[in-house]
Amino acid sequence: MLLSIYVQAQDIVVHGTVNDDSGLPVTGATVLLKNTSEGTYTDFDGKFELEAPSDGTLVISYVGFTTVEVPINGQNSITVGLKVDLQALEEVVVVGYGTQKKSVVTGAIASVKASELEDLPVTRIEQSLQGRTSGLTIVTNSGQPGSSSTIRVRGVTTLGNNDPLWVVDGVIVDNGGIGYLNQSDIASIEVLKDAASAAIYGSRAATGVILITTKKGQSGKLSVNYNGYTGFSGPARKLNLLNATEYATLMNERYANSADPNSFQLPYPNPQSYGEGTDWQDLIFNNSAQRQSHEISISGGNDKSTFYASFGYLDQDGIVTSAISHYTRKNFRLNSTHKINDYIRFGQTFGYSHEKNTGIDSNNYYGGPLASAINLDPITPAIETDPALINTGDYANPNIIYAPNGFPYGISSHVGQEMTNPLAYVQTKLGNYNWADNFVGNAYVEVEPIKGLKARSTFAGKMAFWGGRSFNPESFLTSSFVTSTNSLSKNTNKGFGWNIENTISYQKEIDGHDFTVLLGQGAYVDNITDGQSVTYNDLPVNNYKDADFGFDISQDNITANAYKNDIHKVISYFARLNYAYKDKYLLTAIIRRDGSTNFGTNNKFGYFPSFSVGWIPNEEAFWPENDVVNQLKIRGSYGVTGNDQIGAFGYLSTISGGRNYYVGNETQGSIVTGNSPDAPANPDLKWEETSQTNIGFDTRLFKNFTLTFDWYNKKTSDILRYVPLPGYLGSTGSPAVNIGDMKNTGVDLSLGFSKHYEDYGFSLNGNVSTVKNEVVYLGTDTDYISGDGIQASSVNSIIRTQVGHPINSFYGFMTNGIFQNQAEIDAYTNSSGGLIQPNAVPGDFKWKDINGDGTITSDDRDFLGSSIPKVTFGFTFNFNYKDFDLLVFAQGAAGNKIYQAIRRLDIGTANFQTSALGRWTGEGTSNTFPRLSSVDPNNNFTNPSDFYLEDGDYIRFKTIQVGYTLPKDIMTKFGIDKVRLYVTGENLFTFTKYSGFDPEIGGGVFGIDRGYYPQARTGMLGVNLQF
Amino acid sequence: MLIYNFKKMNMKRNTLNYLILTVILTVGTLVSCSKDYIEEQPKGNFLEDNYYQNGDQAYSGLIAVYDKVGKESGGFENMVTFMNAASDDNYAGGGGPTDGAGIHGFAHYTIDPGTMPASYWNDYYQGVFRANVLLSKLPDIPMDENLKARFTAEARALRGYFYFQLVRMFGNIPLMTEPVPASEFYTIEQAPKADVYAQIEADLEAAKANLPSTIDVATEGGRFTKGVVQALLGKVYLYDGKNSQAATELAEVNGTPGGASQYGYKLLDNFADLWEVSNTFNSESILETTNTNKSNADWGFWGSGADLGNSINIMVGPRSYTRLNSSAPDFAPGWSFNVFTQSFYDVIKNDPRFDATVADLKAMQDAGDIDYVLGDQDTGYYLKKFMPYNSEATSGGGAKELNYRQHVYIIRLADTYLLEAEALGGTGSRAQALLDAVRSRVGLPSVPVSMDAIKKERRLELAGEGHRWFDLVRWGDAASVLANEGFVAGKNEVLPIPLAELEGTKLVQNPNY
Repeated sequence: MLLSIYVQAQDIVVHGTVNDDSGLPVTGATVLLKNTSEGTYTDFDGKFELEAPSDGTLVISYVGFTTVEVPINGQNSITVGLKVDLQALEEVVVVGYGTQKKSVVTGAIASVKASELEDLPVTRIEQSLQGRTSGLTIVTNSGQPGSSSTIRVRGVTTLGNNDPLWVVDGVIVDNGGIGYLNQSDIASIEVLKDAASAAIYGSRAATGVILITTKKGQSGKLSVNYNGYTGFSGPARKLNLLNATEYATLMNERYANSADPNSFQLPYPNPQSYGEGTDWQDLIFNNSAQRQSHEISISGGNDKSTFYASFGYLDQDGIVTSAISHYTRKNFRLNSTHKINDYIRFGQTFGYSHEKNTGIDSNNYYGGPLASAINLDPITPAIETDPALINTGDYANPNIIYAPNGFPYGISSHVGQEMTNPLAYVQTKLGNYNWADNFVGNAYVEVEPIKGLKARSTFAGKMAFWGGRSFNPESFLTSSFVTSTNSLSKNTNKGFGWNIENTISYQKEIDGHDFTVLLGQGAYVDNITDGQSVTYNDLPVNNYKDADFGFDISQDNITANAYKNDIHKVISYFARLNYAYKDKYLLTAIIRRDGSTNFGTNNKFGYFPSFSVGWIPNEEAFWPENDVVNQLKIRGSYGVTGNDQIGAFGYLSTISGGRNYYVGNETQGSIVTGNSPDAPANPDLKWEETSQTNIGFDTRLFKNFTLTFDWYNKKTSDILRYVPLPGYLGSTGSPAVNIGDMKNTGVDLSLGFSKHYEDYGFSLNGNVSTVKNEVVYLGTDTDYISGDGIQASSVNSIIRTQVGHPINSFYGFMTNGIFQNQAEIDAYTNSSGGLIQPNAVPGDFKWKDINGDGTITSDDRDFLGSSIPKVTFGFTFNFNYKDFDLLVFAQGAAGNKIYQAIRRLDIGTANFQTSALGRWTGEGTSNTFPRLSSVDPNNNFTNPSDFYLEDGDYIRFKTIQVGYTLPKDIMTKFGIDKVRLYVTGENLFTFTKYSGFDPEIGGGVFGIDRGYYPQARTGMLGVNLQF
Repeated sequence: MLIYNFKKMNMKRNTLNYLILTVILTVGTLVSCSKDYIEEQPKGNFLEDNYYQNGDQAYSGLIAVYDKVGKESGGFENMVTFMNAASDDNYAGGGGPTDGAGIHGFAHYTIDPGTMPASYWNDYYQGVFRANVLLSKLPDIPMDENLKARFTAEARALRGYFYFQLVRMFGNIPLMTEPVPASEFYTIEQAPKADVYAQIEADLEAAKANLPSTIDVATEGGRFTKGVVQALLGKVYLYDGKNSQAATELAEVNGTPGGASQYGYKLLDNFADLWEVSNTFNSESILETTNTNKSNADWGFWGSGADLGNSINIMVGPRSYTRLNSSAPDFAPGWSFNVFTQSFYDVIKNDPRFDATVADLKAMQDAGDIDYVLGDQDTGYYLKKFMPYNSEATSGGGAKELNYRQHVYIIRLADTYLLEAEALGGTGSRAQALLDAVRSRVGLPSVPVSMDAIKKERRLELAGEGHRWFDLVRWGDAASVLANEGFVAGKNEVLPIPLAELEGTKLVQNPNY
């Protein structure tokens, strides 16, 4: 496998071997004849052969090792020992517009390298960050394949959009769109956490910045990598729901407790006759949902050009109704760098992905298979085979759905509204899908006319196309879920954004004073988005396979819509100074000026300064050599970042249509568009600002331990939001204003330990983050903002954002046990002797009279907790013994609450979880679960209260992987560098007290579980190949 | 495709050239990006500063005011079902006791500032604001002056109508006749009720002079005419206790009882024809909302200005209605709101208007002709006037539930007949003639006119049309008639002001809420 590309006739043939410190051969090292471009690479045994002049000098280099020059001196055989380059091995961290040695970084930056991600079977890049860095809270939005995650960098920074800024190779990519990336293509991920690090992205950095660098080719031999796995997923747990007998028993009791004793008749006279009944969960869950991924890359290059190309394919079934919950992605990447001459370099990255997915409603108690499986009664059969019922009642409807065996799917006569037989529901959704095509790339040219002076121009863009197609057949699922006219719809959308950045930097070192000055300018455009949709109603066919836009549909039955978004532009100027004295005293100062189209002439521009300092005492002469603290760096920073994320034209008063009226009669009249002002103008609208102080240190202790600690205090002021005006002003919209302050303080801690012996080694890396959020100000007239409400109680929202409390706290009624008897009700009196709960009967909740006014009203609500975890943590344990390796990765959260709202409250006959078996049935039976009753004057179930609140703490073993690398000497014979086989278990164990499907609930739902699509438990078999 | 072999550049070119290139690259682009780059103007919508430039834009501004007339029948929170629910004739109904906290709260008089649906307040104030904006812009709009006078009159009349709805519902309300500057957003206070009525009457009186007596309903149906304004004005005067002025205005609207008035208003011969969906702008109709099945209304914008469907229809339809016998009416399934009470059934069961007013599902089910699911407080007596039919379900876009097209009367002639009779104190030959006309149209004999007779007639004639609760309050009968429902005198004559209106403002909550 000798690979030589510049071979010329020379005087002698040199045979050589390149070894590392421990005498192992170094494969792929570059062997160059000094002052020429001629050379070769070492083979798998570290051997090379080169014709060279006998008086020449060989330059041997390899990434991570110190370059060595060896004079030939007429020798035909040379053995070279390469030494590990401590300087080069030291981690380099990507910062905005450049890289920096980790040792001199003064900001709080978390870095994740490719090596930590390589073997993890994740479908979206956010998941690979979860639990792996401190200061980041990542919660999956749904267990549905392809779902995004909710990411918060150091807490919730603002009232609006809190997604961090994603910058992929210099391209700004929105949070939802980041899914186009292929895991194997990532070289590194850097999270800029403190203001001083992020300030270089000034305007858009307030909620944190995540920089992703994709892989580049290495000059050297051509390298091919394959990583593939295949496996099966299933649900990690099911809810414990009542079976049919239990259901009938409890429904009887519920009815009996409120029925008129004179006309009393049990709805289910013989509960035992129903047996176990239907387990709807069994019918929707797939215990062998398949999942596979293949990623192949090829990279290489020479001293002029390098390239990296890859292809990826991912195919994943959802674990819930897989037929309509499925995701596939194909991606392609091509990155290259070129040295045009000694002064000019050119490079580009390009990524493409095609995604296709189909999914069900998640976290929505109003419908979909999950909600139906939870709420449907277990009495209704999945398929109705009783001849006495078929063709009568609902089953007489011609549009009911039939199972493959010719019998109709069961239709519940006990639980109605949106709850439908999930098997029938699936049949009406088959063939529907959404798709997306993403093109993301950049190109840059870098000129270095004299050493240290670099000018760089980058153009980057992202174009996305997405859409969907759906067919809604004529169907009858229940009498309240009827489609009487079929329809075929599709929509297509296009989004485009681009940015240009130009930087010039100069680096110079004089007598230990190392300066780097960077000046830059950028222009950013996004949200160039438009789309259209069309629906054909009343097609002459009624199944998705035949439905087509080719049918001639009358114009009356065609509806079409188009839209466009308002373009958003930002223009920026920035400057950065890095200064280091003898790598001991460090300083970084940044200033950035940004202008945004979202603000009017009064306040278009904002200024965002920051500075940070560092000191490395162990470099000082006075620092004693010791075995305890080997290295120490103390850091401090302060900076201001901005946010312009509010809709376009908030500083103007716009006029909108859609305030229409029909004028005239049926034949000659028409819909007339009415136009009127939206919201009052706010010409003073300006940048929201977040200032952040960070103090931390990095240290190496006892040689093998590393510790990074950061404390931060972050304050956001002039929060951009829409404030509803009093209704009497008649404004249709709400004006955009800068009202609101918020504070986050916390600690990020990372601890690492690693030790390696001859045959084995192990390492443990863990991190813990804490965050405390507090709303400081919401306006002079506003104490709180009410958030999400709960079904059946739309007026009493369970979420409240109030000054002095964390954002989106739970706010509701508080239970204080259950009245066991009438005496307890009679004893619960107010100051004037009246009953506090006159409507209560034994078995009802005793509500706390929070405001002490002697009655229970909506004023008797209080703060019940927060969905924001106080602590998040993760740890990774690696162990290897000879050719075996083991990885255990776990993450979790603590100190948060979850509001378990998965049962539909407005459907009294909806099924219960088995916790209802412990309901109050008489004195002393329960002090936590109230009596069942058809009427609920005490609002036991409809009051949003702590009854539904549970601890959300969990620890989850996300990945457990065992790998075996086949012996290298055998593989080499087949021309293969490396073969590693592995077995991975994902989400094998989750420890939590939470009673829902999954304690990890994301997606901006503030910890309210409305029937969350649970994450899958997966077993996979995979292989890494390298040749 | 990658190109690996670059043409070798001249290595001897001196570094100065690259320095120059560097400078051009950076400085060049810096200069090209000026401040203009981040100046954007909205596209696809107008700015308040550059709108209202011509007659067409003024008309569009006027239509935005008319939009709020649709509150009568548009959206879940429409006027008719809400007001019906609070009366003694109808229950709230719906799927269960919490299906609509506002409507159930009103029905049982447990409504409080938190549960009060804010739209009943906000929507009419949005109408007021749009009228105020238009009235402030109209004087400067270059357009036909006659048209301008008509638009001005319509905007004032609509403002008067909205304030009338607000003052009837909430009693103590802020009164604004022009757009409010930002400095006064939070300093507005409620106006004395007399001032509000004075403003409503002034608006309607002013509008009367500049509105056409008749319009071509084919192209302009739904817009205010002189007759509409006089009918409204008569009603307003009656509420304001100015009975003689009320009688004067209403007499001009009504003309000779039983005959055609100066505006062509005449009772329909057949009561049931009033509820024929296609019978829009008939001679008995004075003011009606103009619903259509063509706005492709969908759940995403249900109840908003772009939704022009009738929501009453789907709301009052029986739940899961299925026909077991083809002779049963082909009602579309709905949500079972506003079922009639047993006490109302007992009053109307022998009236000739029964069949057009009540859909007796109880009887049909007992006969085995139909099946349906009982809703909240179900009596089996459904509101036939607004019953949805499968034949009326749209075949076009949007949700079929939301695209019913039935227009809804806000004022019809039988109503103004009885209002005039009431304004006349329920005595005299004209009052007698008016009452007789309403009764004889449905084949009922004359009864001696009296306030009691008028009250009974209004209840039967206008059942389920959203008038009853206002009537009871106006007559001072609410506390006694609605006592069993929970009505508290001195409190429930008006609704609570929505909670959000009191936060940070100078508004004062209505007494006892």
